[in-house]
Amino acid sequence: MADASIEFKGTSFTLSVLHLKTPKLADIRADLVKKVAQAPDFFYLVPVVVNIEQLDCSLDYQAVKSLVEEFNFTFVGFTGSVDKEQRKLIRELGFSFVNTTRVDTSKKAAIAEEALTTETKATAAIPERNLYTDKVHRGQIRSGQQIYAKDQNLVVIGSVSAGAEVIADGNIHVYGSLRGRAIAGAKGHHKAQIYCQNLEAELVSINGNYWLSESMEQHWGSPVYIHLTDSELTSSKLI
Amino acid sequence: MARIIVVTSGKGGVGKTTSSAAIGLGLALKGHKVVLIDFDIGLRNLDLIMGCERRVVYDFVNVINGEATLNQALIKDKRVSSLSILPASQTRDKDALNKENVGKVLEELGKSYDFIVCDSPAGIEAGAMMALYYADEAIVTTNPEVSSVRDSDRILGMLASRSRRAELGLDPIKEHLLLTRYSPKRVEEGEMLSVEDVEDILSIPLLGVIPESQAVLKASNAGEPVILDTESDAGKAYQDVIERLLGETVEFRFLVAEKKGIFSRMFGG
Repeated sequence: MADASIEFKGTSFTLSVLHLKTPKLADIRADLVKKVAQAPDFFYLVPVVVNIEQLDCSLDYQAVKSLVEEFNFTFVGFTGSVDKEQRKLIRELGFSFVNTTRVDTSKKAAIAEEALTTETKATAAIPERNLYTDKVHRGQIRSGQQIYAKDQNLVVIGSVSAGAEVIADGNIHVYGSLRGRAIAGAKGHHKAQIYCQNLEAELVSINGNYWLSESMEQHWGSPVYIHLTDSELTSSKLI
Repeated sequence: MARIIVVTSGKGGVGKTTSSAAIGLGLALKGHKVVLIDFDIGLRNLDLIMGCERRVVYDFVNVINGEATLNQALIKDKRVSSLSILPASQTRDKDALNKENVGKVLEELGKSYDFIVCDSPAGIEAGAMMALYYADEAIVTTNPEVSSVRDSDRILGMLASRSRRAELGLDPIKEHLLLTRYSPKRVEEGEMLSVEDVEDILSIPLLGVIPESQAVLKASNAGEPVILDTESDAGKAYQDVIERLLGETVEFRFLVAEKKGIFSRMFGG
């Protein structure tokens, strides 16, 4: 099977979602004109999902798709918590229905607004937001193993052996002994921190500032968190 | 289904072959059908420890290459009829084995044996990987010193990532810690890592602690696995290991230095 010419895999993407508050196409068009005028280049060929959850009447789905494409968006499909009948209808008309994880409806518009404005301001801010998610590793990380949490925090439920290496673009939490190397804020993040229940590390590093074990004597063998204060590594006892 | 047990360590000279021989023979003495396989191709040792080096006609590599049948290559132990040995080749190297054919041999052996004990070569290269690939259980043989513990840790990582069970997403290999060449006296003097130190670093269940003993060398040279020396501490400790492998709870022995009696102290005994 390894020789197959294609492979299907699931991956999560950040997609822009257009929330419709009215079925009136003229109103939608007017607002789209304003929005796109703010950053025409940013919106060019951006994939967009249309959320129809806030509409309580029927909609001309085909017309909405054409409208969105008219503004040079790439139309992906519809989304929102709607009943089965409506979902079926959308599929029968030949459109995809995209499922999402649930968010409180009242906050929805605010979130969409916020997402759009931050994205127009700076696309570089996206990885920063991903730092709020965690990569969780259960079990000991053995000598010779390396774990990297890209754009994430790393949580290890177990010890990190001498000769092992844990790296995260965010924070590192070790619920066990840290005996190997821990590198937090690997892509450059001065607020990254390292937490462990027992500090016996070979090396700790935050945002490129590092300590070898000889610099850790003060809190050796203790539960500790390590952070940067004015670009200097500092360790503090947890309890 | 046979239990496939690999005796491994990463580091060389820690007692893998001695332990394989003792454990294989011990299980057979309990009435189980056991086959001992020497995976250390090119450095044939297990047959020496088992005292059957003069009876090797065909070996593991011959079977893999289809030059001999399993029955031709298996050597029946003269002491216990339910024990067989599949010796390594002295003339080939570790690349002579391949996953597919090793799998076939193990499957064939699994039909007629209760336990398949694989004596792994040292290192983390192809030979050691081959020995652990099909294992259900691993006995990680470790000496109480830092480099051995570090290498065992490395092998534990391999067991969790490079074995068949890991690749297929099955239940992980059951890991056992076997501490060998343990000297309570040297632990007390601070020269050697203690059982607790090693358990803390490796955090896997302890299967046995074999005390450093003159009996081991004597047994190896005589081709009589040390478990047959029922008077020695090492022999007794291996018997405890067998009980634990078979699911019994046995208290650990030989963990504290023997206090010298007043007479031996007076006469330097």
